[in-house]
Amino acid sequence: MQVRVPENLSLMEKLNILSDAAKYDVACTSSGTERSNTGKGVGNCVDAGICHSFSADGRCISLLKILFTNECIYNCRYCLNRASNDVPRAAFTPQEVCDLTMGFYRRNYIEGLFLSSGILKSPSYTMELLYQTLYKLRHEYGFGGYIHVKAIPGADPRLIEATGYLADRMSVNLELPTAEGLRKLAPSKSRTWILTPMRQVQNRMEENRNELALYRSAPRFVPAGQSTQMIIGATPENDYQIVSVAESLYQKFALKRVFYSAFVRVNEDSMLPALPGGPPLLREHRLYQADWLLRYYGFRASELLTEDKPNFNVLLDPKCDWALRHLEQFPVEINRADYMTLLRVPGIGVRSAQRIVKARRLGNVDFPDLKRMGVVLKRALYFITCRGRTMYPIRIEEDYITRNLLNVKERLPFGMDGQVTYRQLSLFDDQNFSMPPGA
Amino acid sequence: MTIFWCEDSLDGILTGIYDAWDSRLGHNQVKLKTDAQDTLELFCDYRQVKTDAVKAEKVLRTIRDRLGEEAFEAVCYAAACTDGGRADAIYRMVVLGLHMKDGRQVVNCLQNRDVSLVMRLRIKAWHEAHRYMGFVRFEELENGVLYSVIEPAYAVLPLLAPHFADRFQQENWVIHDKRRGVMAVHPKDSLWVLADAEELNTDYLGHRSEREKEFQELWKSFCKSIAIEERRNPRCQQGLLPLRFRGCMTEFRKDQSI
Ligand code: SF4
Repeated sequence: MQVRVPENLSLMEKLNILSDAAKYDVACTSSGTERSNTGKGVGNCVDAGICHSFSADGRCISLLKILFTNECIYNCRYCLNRASNDVPRAAFTPQEVCDLTMGFYRRNYIEGLFLSSGILKSPSYTMELLYQTLYKLRHEYGFGGYIHVKAIPGADPRLIEATGYLADRMSVNLELPTAEGLRKLAPSKSRTWILTPMRQVQNRMEENRNELALYRSAPRFVPAGQSTQMIIGATPENDYQIVSVAESLYQKFALKRVFYSAFVRVNEDSMLPALPGGPPLLREHRLYQADWLLRYYGFRASELLTEDKPNFNVLLDPKCDWALRHLEQFPVEINRADYMTLLRVPGIGVRSAQRIVKARRLGNVDFPDLKRMGVVLKRALYFITCRGRTMYPIRIEEDYITRNLLNVKERLPFGMDGQVTYRQLSLFDDQNFSMPPGA
Repeated sequence: MTIFWCEDSLDGILTGIYDAWDSRLGHNQVKLKTDAQDTLELFCDYRQVKTDAVKAEKVLRTIRDRLGEEAFEAVCYAAACTDGGRADAIYRMVVLGLHMKDGRQVVNCLQNRDVSLVMRLRIKAWHEAHRYMGFVRFEELENGVLYSVIEPAYAVLPLLAPHFADRFQQENWVIHDKRRGVMAVHPKDSLWVLADAEELNTDYLGHRSEREKEFQELWKSFCKSIAIEERRNPRCQQGLLPLRFRGCMTEFRKDQSI
């Protein structure tokens, strides 16, 4: 194989090429590790994560997100860096990555480094380069900030393990939601091939937890946990399939996060769907909302969607949608309902549910109090009572509530607030949209 | 009604609480106001509070001991805000907490208007401070000192400095709140201090280090190339990163340095 990386690019040229090539990777969070400065090196980590800037697409910039190289021996159809594409190629040296990371970190541009890579020569060869880079950064530069690194499927497990001791988070990309999609668009990868390193990292993390229980100073393996991402809308899976995959990844692989990335068509390829309305952003948004419901609100995938109703409602968020289909469980009494029940009320979030539970121990809670506690009453009022009373005389009836909820503007993250109409929505991927009940 | 008119700062408010309590006029007969509010109420007796670090410290210790860590933090954060009602709300919250069997429960009394206001302000200030943990931009000076200018809406510099003191223990750094004319100064391997910007010799701030410009250019260019054109959404960007922050942020500046 001939390597097409030119030798004499400047640092600026390399950074441009290799950050541009990394931008489709979704995860930019720096959360999950709390670590003070060691007193010798530079840096610490904050559990909640910190956003340092926001790019023109409204995504958070928290990490120096780059590929080590965009050279690649594979030819995944959806990827800009695939071997058959004629794009400018570049590769960093470990030294250059360290320089950039330290220079950016000291100026407080970033929380740390997100290092991914195309496959140069072989998976193990590439993994070794990532390992060397991290080693240098941690040991020669004393870097104590956040590091997210990719585990490369097919690489020697020993290299993956050694790298995991230098990183905060590791991720293996699932790429596409199903094995079928993978066969179609990334024939050189298989589902098992991807899941193997994921399992390895999971097992090692578990062993490490036991070691840490015994010796508190044992070295820590991937302390911020493991994540993955999949592309949405490049293959024909429905939302139910996707959410079920995510659910089983959380349960069976103990992942910290599953990220979704709305498919962006960067290659002309007959196997890829045309997306005249641009990337399916609303769908991605609904999947993230559902993801929260799985992780923090005690919902199961099968409660949110079914074989008969396999896609999310475009017009209502998944929680409202669920509540409308389960009106028999409402209204709930704010002063008595348990925490998990409160969490299921539209307009009540994790924070406000916690506040309610604490406040009502000291006395009854009423509607004005709820408002001050951060409950979105416009949404919640159809589903709750305070001391046996509803806020206004209302009918607990699907059509009536649906109509009212649709009047409450939902804040959508991509500047479409309040402008969601059927016409605009048809610009998205319409096969995936079902009409709301009663509309 | 007697109004205790205190300086618009944490210490000012805490001294006000001390004096109001100490006056024994009865909690219903007194009210706290900060001097940032210029509307005088009629038929009220005004008492100027002279900020006193010792009194402030006493009140703060009482809050910490009797009302707990969370209330302590809430008071410090809420005081950093600009809300006109905060001095009185903090006072009422302290009074309420000291009358409760378990003072630590006071932070949960969200049915109470004053407590609820303090707790909401705490989140506001926390949010501002947390944003600045990300938005602070240091420039490297010739002598290796890292220098940053901020213009926060609230007095969050003291809430921010401990974070950077840990992160950049081995660095000499300065964060300058231009709005309030104060600086947090952190000498390498030592404690940070808050100083009046006018009292410090700032002549040396003029010269940037040799590689400073290069890194600024690299960063600007990174911020551009990391955005996905197909997802372009300036409105969303502006919601998350309002214009008021951008003046001090390298990637949004046209000129070179602060
Ligand atoms: S292996 Fe990764 S970089 Fe290479 S073509 Fe596939 S997705 Fe792109």
